[in-house]
Amino acid sequence: MVVLHLAWFDGNLVLWGESPREAAAAQAPAHRGRKQVEKTAVASYPFGADPEVLDAALRDAGVVVEAKRAARRGAMAWLPTQGSVPIASSPLVAEAPQAQGEIALVPWRIEAMALMPAQAVDLLCRCAEKPTLAPGVLVGRDVAFWAQALRFAAALVARQQYLPAIEARDGGHRACWEPVFAGADAERLAALAKAMPAVARALGAADATTAPATPPAEVIREFLGAMVDHLVRSAASGRATAWEPVGGTSASRVPSERWAETPRPRRGRPRKKPAFDSVHDQWLHALRSPDGLMEGDEAELAQLAEQVREWRRPLSVSVAAPFRLCFRLEEPESGLEAEAGRTRKRSDAWHVRFLLQAVDDPSLLVPAEDAWAARGSAVSVLRRAGYSAQEHLLSSLGQASGICPRIEAALKTQRPSGYELDATGAHEFLTQRSLLLEQAGFGVLLPAWWTRTGTKLRLALRASVKSPKMQGGSGLSLDEVVHVNWEVALGDERLSPEELDALARLKTPLVRVRGQWVQVNAAEIQAALDFWRKKGTETLTARQVVQMAMGATDAVSGIPLAGIEADGWMGDVLRQLDGRAEIGEVPVPQGFVGTLRPYQARGYAWLAFLRQWGLGACLADDMGLGKTIQALALFLRDWEASGAGILPAGRRDACPTDRRRPVLLICPTSVVSNWRKEAERFAPSLPVMVHHGIERKRGEEFVAEARRHALVVSSYSLLNRDIEHLKKVPWLGIVLDEAQNIKNPETKQARAARSLAADYRMALTGTPVENNVGDLWSLMEFLNPGFLGSQADFKREFFIPIQTNRDPEAAGRLRRLTGPFILRRLKTDKSIIADLPEKQEMKVFCTLTREQASLYAAVVKDAEGALDGAEGIQRKGVVLATLSKLKQVCNHPAQFLGDNSAIPGRSGKLARLAEMLEEAIEVGDRALVFTQFAEMGAILKRHLEETFGREALFLHGAVPKAQRDRMVERFQADGGPPVFILSLKAGGTGLNLTRANHVFHFDRWWNPAVENQATDRAFRIGQTRNVQVHKFLCAGTLEEKIDEMIERKKEVAAEVVGTGEGWLTELSNQQLKELFALRAEAIGE
Amino acid sequence: MSRWGRRRYYDDDWGYYRHFAPSRPREAKGGIKAQTKRGGFGQSWWAIRWIAVLESFDIGARLGRGRSYARSGQVTHLEVGEGTVTARVQGSRPKPYDVVIKVATLSAANWKKLAESLGKEALFAAKLLAGEMPENIEDAFKTAGLSLFPGKSKDLVTDCSCPDWSNPCKHIAAVYYLLGEEFDRDPFLIFKLRGMTREKLVALLGAKPPAPPKPGAASEPAPPAEPLPAEPGTFWGAGDAGEMTLGEVRIPPAAAALPRRLGNFPFWRGAEGFLDAMEGIYAAASPAGLAVLLGERKNEEAGA
Repeated sequence: MVVLHLAWFDGNLVLWGESPREAAAAQAPAHRGRKQVEKTAVASYPFGADPEVLDAALRDAGVVVEAKRAARRGAMAWLPTQGSVPIASSPLVAEAPQAQGEIALVPWRIEAMALMPAQAVDLLCRCAEKPTLAPGVLVGRDVAFWAQALRFAAALVARQQYLPAIEARDGGHRACWEPVFAGADAERLAALAKAMPAVARALGAADATTAPATPPAEVIREFLGAMVDHLVRSAASGRATAWEPVGGTSASRVPSERWAETPRPRRGRPRKKPAFDSVHDQWLHALRSPDGLMEGDEAELAQLAEQVREWRRPLSVSVAAPFRLCFRLEEPESGLEAEAGRTRKRSDAWHVRFLLQAVDDPSLLVPAEDAWAARGSAVSVLRRAGYSAQEHLLSSLGQASGICPRIEAALKTQRPSGYELDATGAHEFLTQRSLLLEQAGFGVLLPAWWTRTGTKLRLALRASVKSPKMQGGSGLSLDEVVHVNWEVALGDERLSPEELDALARLKTPLVRVRGQWVQVNAAEIQAALDFWRKKGTETLTARQVVQMAMGATDAVSGIPLAGIEADGWMGDVLRQLDGRAEIGEVPVPQGFVGTLRPYQARGYAWLAFLRQWGLGACLADDMGLGKTIQALALFLRDWEASGAGILPAGRRDACPTDRRRPVLLICPTSVVSNWRKEAERFAPSLPVMVHHGIERKRGEEFVAEARRHALVVSSYSLLNRDIEHLKKVPWLGIVLDEAQNIKNPETKQARAARSLAADYRMALTGTPVENNVGDLWSLMEFLNPGFLGSQADFKREFFIPIQTNRDPEAAGRLRRLTGPFILRRLKTDKSIIADLPEKQEMKVFCTLTREQASLYAAVVKDAEGALDGAEGIQRKGVVLATLSKLKQVCNHPAQFLGDNSAIPGRSGKLARLAEMLEEAIEVGDRALVFTQFAEMGAILKRHLEETFGREALFLHGAVPKAQRDRMVERFQADGGPPVFILSLKAGGTGLNLTRANHVFHFDRWWNPAVENQATDRAFRIGQTRNVQVHKFLCAGTLEEKIDEMIERKKEVAAEVVGTGEGWLTELSNQQLKELFALRAEAIGE
Repeated sequence: MSRWGRRRYYDDDWGYYRHFAPSRPREAKGGIKAQTKRGGFGQSWWAIRWIAVLESFDIGARLGRGRSYARSGQVTHLEVGEGTVTARVQGSRPKPYDVVIKVATLSAANWKKLAESLGKEALFAAKLLAGEMPENIEDAFKTAGLSLFPGKSKDLVTDCSCPDWSNPCKHIAAVYYLLGEEFDRDPFLIFKLRGMTREKLVALLGAKPPAPPKPGAASEPAPPAEPLPAEPGTFWGAGDAGEMTLGEVRIPPAAAALPRRLGNFPFWRGAEGFLDAMEGIYAAASPAGLAVLLGERKNEEAGA
């Protein structure tokens, strides 16, 4: 395991890492030896990761690592140290020392690697918003910080906020691109500097005697400068290959060489100096060259640098200014009242005021009058080093006057402070000038009623839709053609054409209607009138109307769309879709065993409603709320309605058997068994076919078999591999479980899912889909193709505004658009809690991997041989040993083999556990994981830590009491580790772990009493939430069979199995053979 | 005075010959090339006025040749000082000719009078500081009894070391044209020619100038050092880095707005037009920046 760190040092982003001591000690004993000898030398950091580890981590992440080793060498990191013990970044690396004493910064020697800008960009792009880069490669907080900073640099490049420059460097000159931090970007720069973790600047020179102290503001500036320079330069050089003169060499890269302390000029063949006609040609060339170096007459280059500074001065003056010119539009105290078409002119004009607004405190506004007169508090406020308020005010006004002629007119006095304007002017200012001024970097303050989104009253279209008569009850669909009547409204008021005309005649774009300013635009009125005349009514499909109503279109013919009203069934559909009306109850299918909780019944009805209209639905309930059951109820309903199963009398004839079509359910391999088991339990009349494993059917045989079933369960990997077979079946529905698997629309799975035709589509997921804007498109494109527009449209309209600017308008629109199709309930919702038992027990059926299956078979074979002829104690020993071995195989091959081999991808149980924990952790839940094997606990700890990049606590018998108490305390504390692994023996009693709301039994004790005792660690006094208990079983193995036996005699179970597993030794050889035998369904792929 | 020294044409046969059959100038590499490819030099009214002064002299074909000199980059050096312009122009001889233009400067008293006149409307100073010449600035000069452009012929003296007998010659004309173009970009240039730098003018207009930035060094003083915190939580970054909005990010419809706002590079001598080159680079860099912002970057660069 390695935790990656990045620090800015000597003009480079430098990568280093921390690894737990075992690894560090095993791999780098030399360092420790040296430490003993040279007492005066700086000690090497005991948790420092080896360069090979860093290389491997980078390579795993797909970052190209140069073979050249010049970029790598020892460095000095100043780290918090107590006594002589360094304090690592995370308990995953090393527990904090328990020692008392002062913490001070002490230099430690580390192995580090300077990244080239391209590598840095690559690495940071991959690290963005992820706790791990790969299993076992953890992303330090500093790395996350740099990733965020890189995004800022990238935004500056995208928005073109940079200028060419020339800098003096190492006695020479270098052409470069420098970011320009104007307005809000200056605030962002300051915010980043403030957020920088200290470790990001904690590397020092080898001979330094004091800790580095470069201020964060300077460090972040250097970093952003380097990144902007790199991004622009590489884009520019990509374009300019044809233009580039011979001799430009890309081999000479400054950073690595500087790092290697190689003084310029370079080694090797002398750099061929390209000949330039002028220093300007040279500059332009260097701006596009890989290193930007400029060689030549130093005096001439210095002169060029001066010219560049001079050229940039107008901008640097305004950018560096601590204030910016700001325009405030002030409304008249009383304006035009429009009442029934009459206007009465009252006094007053609107005003635009000139103000100086402090960049670092936008609420600090100094009126221009005060700045001219230099009076009052303005004097002290405006007095800043190197700043002339009057000159700045004048030059800003001069620039603004080019944008807005009225400002120019206002400057005809000696000390302008603002100007007056009428309603037309005010409207023009609101709608046009203010945008231009803002774009040019000026501040603009507009009345609240204008800027508040959503409350702006303006002319809008409303549609009213007449539903066609229902014909015979069925056959209604969204392809139905409906008639739409268009109306024009202002706010809530409908306007007649005459009223519209009257408004147009007012010839004033801003009208106060009942105390509120309303924007009425003559052109818009005209457009509305024209539109009205042309298509007062039109016909659309019901689907178009639904899309319009959900907000997919916000304007028709350029006029804003305010809303759609519909009568009849269309109205019902629309109201039900956007949640204004309840969706009626749907009777539970007759063959359904068990009862749906109230919220599950609602979810089932909702699924049935959307399915009825052929609209895709995503059920995104929290883990444990029973998505499976709700979906099964729907499948069963369809199956029964198609004439199969138990049908109400009289319906049987109406539904010929050829209408029976299967539903395809795609899920991760790890839950295939679980679906089959859940279907058996809740919908036993539903024929389920598992399309999985090597023996699966193909071609016509598959189609025929599939059509005999109601539900075909298969996995994501087969979705892609068997797509040609899958396409041949006329599916009733396509359902994706754990639908986050198609979040990337480009993957083969996502493409395959979209390519399958069916009457309806459904997605199930427990992750908060609505929070991952980027993933929504793919999901919606599967559910309701075309609804969110093309991927490019989506990116432009939603993804970029929300991702980069958290644009609330775009986010709101997206929510309105997708909301009707996503149902997500949290187990913490008040209405849900009431429906949930305080303790929910669930069995989780897992699948064996092929490796597990063959190990299992081998153990069974051995056991059968050993059992023959064995008697008494010996026989008992064989049985118990076999039981134990089989359980180990079910847990993990590495546990069974005890060979410390690789962990990922070898255990079905572990895969499922990781999936479920990921969901739980994502919503902030905490979990206890019980196992009866200490070795398995260690494997779990390692795997979960490497997967989630978070510490997992592990309590086993060997943990001393003090440490045990500390673990409990940490788990119970805010922000503590989310997962606590306990060996059943060590953690079964006496602990109070109420912070957990999930309990996982990774393997089984076959003793309900013991398990319950363990479960009660979480379910105790002080537990405020509902607790979910997940009992893991490998389907088709002895785990499932023993579970069945216990279930069968539950009443007597306590007596029979009360003493542990001993009772199993009483079984006959034949019974044992049956118990051990592996059913075919157990194996995954 | 060396001013008329170029009339040495009598002891130079070539000059006489060239009068009849003008030769081609030597190719000058890396000279200042006028950015306007056709039409007049300078679009602003004051640049046009400046060129008009030149064109009022009846010097025949020299005007046209001066224009093509300005376009082909024959002027290899040009420096504007208070009241003087010095330039080097590559003609047909190996050694470039030296051109000097002297403009009479205004006296301190005159400047003061002008400042009073300009101070009546904030617009003058505002426009000037924003890099524009106020439309009615000549009225302000007139009010003060002055003139922005050199009015009398003795206020404008030109000189060239070439053998041509005409003054202005084509070399002077070329410099004139280039100046006209530069006037567009920087209205203060004309004030500088009349003896008033930007700083002095701003001060005169009543706005207190800021302390001049130290040349060479970064304009800000070095920020004070900030020692690293030793507390482990703070050191390793326990606090949330905090989400930050990046503002509205879209690729600007017109590329290279910032360089455009600053205008063409003064006396550009590159083979490629400066703003054209900038536009190409900015347009290419925007999508690259957006891709990195959205994390779409593959290792294209590193692999190269």
